[in-house]
Amino acid sequence: MRNLITFPKGGKASQTINDWQVIRPSAEQEGSLLAIPLGRVILPFGWWLSEQSAQASSQPRSETLAQLFTPAFAKRMERGEIGIWFGVDDDVQQHAELIQASAAQWAIIAIDFPIFRDGRGFSTAAILRQRFQWERELRAIGDVLVDQLSQMARVGFDAFELREDQSITQGLAQFSLYHVHLQNDWRSQRSQLGALP
Amino acid sequence: MYQYDVIDQQLVDERVHQFKSQVQRRLADELAEEEFRPLRLQNGLYLQRHAYMLRVAIPYGVLSSKQLRMLAQISAQYDRGYGHFTTRQNIQFNWINLEDSPAILADLASVQMHAIQTSGNVVRNITSDPFAGVAHDEEVDPRPICELLRQWSTLHPEFAFLPRKFKIAINGAKEDRAVILAHDVGLQLKKNALGEVTVDIFVGGGMGRTPILGVCIQTDLPWRQLPSYLSAILRVYNRFGRRDNIYKARIKILVKALGPEEFTRQVQAQLLDWKDSSENFVPAEWERVAKHFTAPAYERYTEMDTTALLDLAPANEQKAFARWMSRNTKPHKVPGYINVILSLKPHGTAAPGDASTAQMHTIAQLADDYSFGELRVTHEQNIVLTDVVQTRLFELYQAAKVANLVIPNIGLLTDLIACPGGDFCSLANAKSLPIASAIQERFDNLDYLFDLGDLSLNISGCINSCGHHHVGNIGILGVDKDGSEWYQVTLGGAQGNFASIGKVIGPSFGADQMPQVIADVMDVYVEEREPSELFIDTVNRIGLEPFKKRVYPLKSVVQKGDHHA
Repeated sequence: MRNLITFPKGGKASQTINDWQVIRPSAEQEGSLLAIPLGRVILPFGWWLSEQSAQASSQPRSETLAQLFTPAFAKRMERGEIGIWFGVDDDVQQHAELIQASAAQWAIIAIDFPIFRDGRGFSTAAILRQRFQWERELRAIGDVLVDQLSQMARVGFDAFELREDQSITQGLAQFSLYHVHLQNDWRSQRSQLGALP
Repeated sequence: MYQYDVIDQQLVDERVHQFKSQVQRRLADELAEEEFRPLRLQNGLYLQRHAYMLRVAIPYGVLSSKQLRMLAQISAQYDRGYGHFTTRQNIQFNWINLEDSPAILADLASVQMHAIQTSGNVVRNITSDPFAGVAHDEEVDPRPICELLRQWSTLHPEFAFLPRKFKIAINGAKEDRAVILAHDVGLQLKKNALGEVTVDIFVGGGMGRTPILGVCIQTDLPWRQLPSYLSAILRVYNRFGRRDNIYKARIKILVKALGPEEFTRQVQAQLLDWKDSSENFVPAEWERVAKHFTAPAYERYTEMDTTALLDLAPANEQKAFARWMSRNTKPHKVPGYINVILSLKPHGTAAPGDASTAQMHTIAQLADDYSFGELRVTHEQNIVLTDVVQTRLFELYQAAKVANLVIPNIGLLTDLIACPGGDFCSLANAKSLPIASAIQERFDNLDYLFDLGDLSLNISGCINSCGHHHVGNIGILGVDKDGSEWYQVTLGGAQGNFASIGKVIGPSFGADQMPQVIADVMDVYVEEREPSELFIDTVNRIGLEPFKKRVYPLKSVVQKGDHHA
């Protein structure tokens, strides 16, 4: 399991035990049965999307998705064992209604960075916090490097699953680099407002 | 000019500290070059052909004498005794060691300067009218808005990894001296009937491979809503701009693909997130910033006419002084004052926009002695002293002459814009500087230059168009053909209120042909022009054909069918 840093709003950054498993079906696994493991899992948003439309017609699309129909799965959701993750191509605004209707059942949302310099996840996070008022954990997954942590924390992330080679010590140091900010963000208003007469 | 408060200073100091630690990790090989690259670019540090190049921001072109002295010191201590003023109101140092870069940034921070976001896929240094605050045709002084947006865009967390770079230009005068239509976002500031500042917003202009002029997507936006409106534009771009092809990643491609109507609809939809939010500026923020842009302590003088100004010079100097005044000064809104442009375009002896360490010290002293210690950098790569008392104009002329800063060529053929090109830049396909130099030497005749009149010649060493060739009356673009350097010529480009993109006249030329090609073009103009008709107007009236006919039959080396589109 990858190293995890959590940095709650108004709290302190710390290394935290990572007990969430991210399910990422590879291209070859598409179509074949992929058993959802026990424990806390973060599933692709695409599965949720397919499941919702499939349920409307009471016809699961695949064996994998059939698992999302079971009473056992519903129990797991109730216990807070299920989260979903958004990829860079998932348009959260296009699926606004579904997300807002479903969000109460998710214990966690993660946003994937396929490569650290793809900045779409920053906007996705800001939209989830700003528009959808998501208040539980928002986790950065994928190519998460220490040098992007302070930006991520400002747009709305409060948990960071670091890429294997990244240093926890350096990661923890990132959140105290800046003591002033020139824009409003999820954590605070711009510093200039506090200094006005 | 604006002075940092404790917040600005702390942010820049903390940025220096952050970058220092990133450089140390890179030097210790704890950080891979591929991952360090965007980090150093976000702080203006490029790896070029011979060394690292550091690009330092001169926000909206305003510089103090103290800051210029620091730039001079850096050029002497860490570079090779010169700096290059760019077309985006930045200065570049071409010979920097990575190890020295944190110390240089600390030096810059000590005079309230930085290199933040002078490169990388971020909102870049915001550019504006070099005559802001003193222009006779100004409706709104753009500097407070420029400064507010400089702060708003600095280290914006959501927009640190855009699909591509993002350039904002702001104009507040009747004449557009900031080329706002050739930027990702152009802002035209106006005043409404109540005297409130409003903004017209143009999106999707740009040069590069696909030159397009921006389209207006919003008129009369209250200035306070700029942060939310720009955030909405940037969010649409960040989410949907292309990331699969670097040449199609600028916002202009997205605006074109969606169409301006659909793009605007998406921006409006995003705006809902910020409606009436504290994201928008409050009037007290304007006050905090605008108080730094009040007029200097002007004294009351009577306006001098040209004859009176000329009489400041002794008889034997009057001809040269008159020439210089006619090209290198501009009217000032305060009686008895005048704007002076120091030319950084000597004929063939230095690269356009280069200033030596000694010249920078001289310019700083001139600013102290004649212009309240402040100066401006223009996108045409020259320097402006904005507040010169007319009675001291000849005195200033003499002092500037010693440092070779009084070439009377502002707006003339040899006042050309050029990027550093293949001599320095690792992106370039061809050299720009030898072409610039050869043209300046060929036209080193002031009588002829004055006769040709206002005319812009812009040279880019590659399609990234840093030399703005698309909007030059004459544009020259370096292209690579089978490993050798060729030059494509466009005519009819223009900046300003009548901005237009130049058209290619035909196959490209070898470097040695270029001075003659320009000479041929000038001959056609001189033959065809109507009395007092500018070059650009002649081109627009007679079209490209007469120029093509003159230029091509004589060029034996031209490769047929080689259009480099």
